[in-house]
Amino acid sequence: MPEDHDWEAYKVPPTRTPVSERTTSVPNPVNYFQTAFNYVLDTPITFIRGWIERWQNKNKFYYYHQKFRRVPDLSQCLEGDYLCYYEAEAQWRRDRMVDQEIVEIVRERMAACKQREGPNQFQNCAKEMQLLEQVTKAYQDRYGDLGYHGNARTCLMKQKHRMMEERKAAQEKQ
Amino acid sequence: MAAMSRVLRAAAAWAARRAGGAGTTGITGTTGITGIGPRLPGTLVPVRHSGDHGKRMFIIKATSFYDSRFLSLLRFYLFLTGIPVAVLLTYINVFIGEAELAEIPEGYVPEHWEYYKHPISRWIARYLLDPPEKNYEKDMAMIDVEMKKSELRLLELEARRLMRHRGDGPWYHYETPDKNLVDNSRKATPDN
Repeated sequence: MPEDHDWEAYKVPPTRTPVSERTTSVPNPVNYFQTAFNYVLDTPITFIRGWIERWQNKNKFYYYHQKFRRVPDLSQCLEGDYLCYYEAEAQWRRDRMVDQEIVEIVRERMAACKQREGPNQFQNCAKEMQLLEQVTKAYQDRYGDLGYHGNARTCLMKQKHRMMEERKAAQEKQ
Repeated sequence: MAAMSRVLRAAAAWAARRAGGAGTTGITGTTGITGIGPRLPGTLVPVRHSGDHGKRMFIIKATSFYDSRFLSLLRFYLFLTGIPVAVLLTYINVFIGEAELAEIPEGYVPEHWEYYKHPISRWIARYLLDPPEKNYEKDMAMIDVEMKKSELRLLELEARRLMRHRGDGPWYHYETPDKNLVDNSRKATPDN
């Protein structure tokens, strides 16, 4: 069964559903559908799921997220030290995967905010929009146009070019 | 055409009934049961059929032997391994279940298979695959060997270059003929 993500990590703001005032004496048919759904589908499935969980809790086992040690970066490797290159490359790929997940999470938050707010999204989601803009710009700057065969070396070269451009712009400004 | 034949058949039946009815009533005159006597061929005959199935018909249609044989064999071979696999997966997912995410306890180094969630992935990582650390070290060993090879090759090229250039090393010795064998009489006089 897919697990829900950690609700504590990002608390969704409380819903602002307005209290409805009853204007008719006709009962809400949605309640009948709700009870029917509860009796027919919800209760049996919950019961079976509970039984399965009780069975699985007898011998539980856990999995962990692997923590990798930091190794020297590509810019700290001596030239010709291919072992250092290999480790730096592996670390760079892991970092790129982490950054992709970060961008994905920020994008999901933005989408959730848009869905929640509806027509007010442009005003109430300003923080999320700003965060998404920053994060995507940073990702594009670092990993942007490297292409499929991008590796740590091409990324370092891109950073070098970026720094050269900045220095040139700073010098021209003087 | 069908209507014509039915009309003709009805006409023939009427004629036969008239002949048969007139004959029987003419001869006996008492029973009055119609339709027993000999008839002309092609006339309608009352036949009793069972109520639930109706008249037994020989329905002509294309053969379904090959199709049903194919589908039956397909089902057989799919279920031959499909059902055991389905039973195994159901057992594993219901009674063993997936792992739960937990923080790494203090001072505990998890085994390499404890980083996977599903029990089958854990089993494969534990018994079939090499640990990722071993894989990493294997790759690094290969890189190390290639590195040493390339270093040695570069050194060899450099040594060859220098020895060829300086001529003071053990390589690049070429046999030259003895200088005492050279006949210098041609160049002894200045006018040649």
